[in-house]
Amino acid sequence: MTKKILIVEDNELNMKLFFDILTYQNFEVEKSFDGLDAYNKLKENKYDLVILDIQLPKLDGFSLIEKLKYENIILPSIIVVSACAMDSDKQKAKDYGIFDYLTKPIDINNFIKTVKEKLG
Amino acid sequence: MFYNKSMGEILVNSLNLIDDIINDTKVSQLDFYRSVLSLISSLYKNTSLGIFFCENLNVILKAAINSGKIVKNYDIDSKIVYDFIENPDKIRELKTKKDEFLYSNTLFAKLSIKQSVFGVMVLSADDMITPEIKASFSALSQIVSYKIKDYELNEVFKIQLKAIQEAMIEKQEALEIIKKQHKKLQELDKTKNLFLANISHELRTPLNAIIGFSQALDSKIFGDLNSKQAEYIKDIQISSLHLLGMINEILDISKLEAHAMKFSPVELNPSQTIQEVVNILEPLYKNKDIEIVFDSKFECKILADYQKFQQILYNLLSNAIKFTPEKGKIEIAQLQKDKNYILKIKDNGIGIDKKFHNKIFKKFVHLNNVYTKNQNSTGLGLTITKELVKLHKGKIYLESEINKGTTFTMEFKNIIL
Repeated sequence: MTKKILIVEDNELNMKLFFDILTYQNFEVEKSFDGLDAYNKLKENKYDLVILDIQLPKLDGFSLIEKLKYENIILPSIIVVSACAMDSDKQKAKDYGIFDYLTKPIDINNFIKTVKEKLG
Repeated sequence: MFYNKSMGEILVNSLNLIDDIINDTKVSQLDFYRSVLSLISSLYKNTSLGIFFCENLNVILKAAINSGKIVKNYDIDSKIVYDFIENPDKIRELKTKKDEFLYSNTLFAKLSIKQSVFGVMVLSADDMITPEIKASFSALSQIVSYKIKDYELNEVFKIQLKAIQEAMIEKQEALEIIKKQHKKLQELDKTKNLFLANISHELRTPLNAIIGFSQALDSKIFGDLNSKQAEYIKDIQISSLHLLGMINEILDISKLEAHAMKFSPVELNPSQTIQEVVNILEPLYKNKDIEIVFDSKFECKILADYQKFQQILYNLLSNAIKFTPEKGKIEIAQLQKDKNYILKIKDNGIGIDKKFHNKIFKKFVHLNNVYTKNQNSTGLGLTITKELVKLHKGKIYLESEINKGTTFTMEFKNIIL
C-alpha cells in the first residue's frame, strides 16, 4: 500500500522541493502550510509520516505536537526539518520524543534515506 | 611694659590660642598671621610688631617691605628695618649666631626651624627693650616658628585632603560610568549573538531551496542534463556550500560567545574520523593534485565530541588544502603520550610569518598575501577551531616558516581511553 506523508512547511519553495522529491519516490503526499491546518488534517486523517517544520504560522511545530498529545490523538512518525540549528532546539525535539531532526539546508539524499528508514 | 605674668604661663596661653586659630578651618593665611601678631602684640605694651617671611633675609625683607607683604600690627619704623637690611653683618649675625638681635630700640628675632631661617619677627618699642622682653620675645619667636610651619603643613594637608576627596569622587564617578558601559556592552554583545543566530537561521530557509533543487537536478532524478547544465549545477552547489559554511561559522561563533556550545563526548577512533573528513575533502585536494598522508592503522580510542572533533579536522585540513600549492603534500601525524593524544597537521604550503602567529587565532583575521586575496572566508575558522580544541581541554599551536609550510599541533590531555 502506498505510504501517506503530510508535509507541514510554510515556505512555498521548500514545500515544492519536499513535495516533488517525495512524490517522485511514489509516496502519497499532502501539503499543509500552517500549524492549525496541520492540526485539523492530523485529527481527521491517518498519515504514516509527518515532515514537520518548527517555525510555522498560527501554531508552531512544538505546540502542535503538544496539542495533539494532550487530546490523545495518536501521532504518526515525525521528522523535524527546521532551520533552527541551535542545540537547544534539537534537545527540545528530543524532549518531545522526536529523534529525527534535520537542519536546513538538508542533503536530499540523506532526507530520502531518513524518510525511507522511518517508513520501514 | 610686659604683663605681670610668668613667662611660662604666657607661652602656654599663646600656644593654645595659636592652636585654636590653626584648627579654625575658615581662617585664611593672612588672617592667621594677623591673629598671631595681635596675640603677640597684646603681650607687650607700647610696641609695634611685624613678621617678615623670607629665606634670603636681606633681599626678601626689602622686597617684602616694598610690596607691602609685611604682616604687621602697627607701623614699624621702616627706616630701622632698612638700616638693618643695609647692614650685612647684622643680618649674618642674626642668621648664624643669634636668635635675636637688638638694634636701637628694635628687636629682631628670627623665625627658624632646625637652622633653616624663613623669616623674622620685629618688635619696635617706644621705650628701652629690657632683657626680660628680649628673652620672652626670643622664646615666642621659636613658638611662632613652629606654629607657622604647623599652619602651613595643615594648609597643605587640607589642600591634599581636598584633592584626594575630589579624586575619589571622580574615581567613583568614572567607576559608575565604566560599570554602566560594561553593562551596556554586555547587552550589546547579547543582542549581537542573538542577531547572528537569527541571521544564520533566516538564511537557511532560502538556502535549503537553492541547495535542494540543485541537488535534485544534479542527482538526475528528474532527467538528464547536458554537460554545461551539469557543470553549472555543480557550480551552484559549490557556491551554496561555501555560503553554508560561512553561515555555520557565524552560528558557531555566536554559540561559543554565548557559551551555548554543547559538548557531548563519545568514544571514537580518531583514525576513522580523519579518514571520514579526508573523504569529504577529496574533491578539493584531488582538484589541486595534493597528496594527503596519514597512518590509518594508528589504533586508539579517545573521548571526544564526534561532530566537533570532525569540525576541527575539517577546518584545519581545508585550510591546509587552501594554502598548499598544486602537487603539494599534507601530512597528518598522531601520537600517544601516556593518556595524552597529540595530532599534527603539516603542510608544505606558503607558510605564515612569525609576526602573525599570535594573531591568527583571533576573530576576523585575514592574512594579506597573494594566496589569500581570493580566498573568501569569514575569518572565523581558526577562532572556532581553537575554541573547539579548548572545549576538549586541549591546546593548539603552530610552527611555520615562509614558503616551507605550516604545522598545527594539538595536544589533548587525558582523552585516551
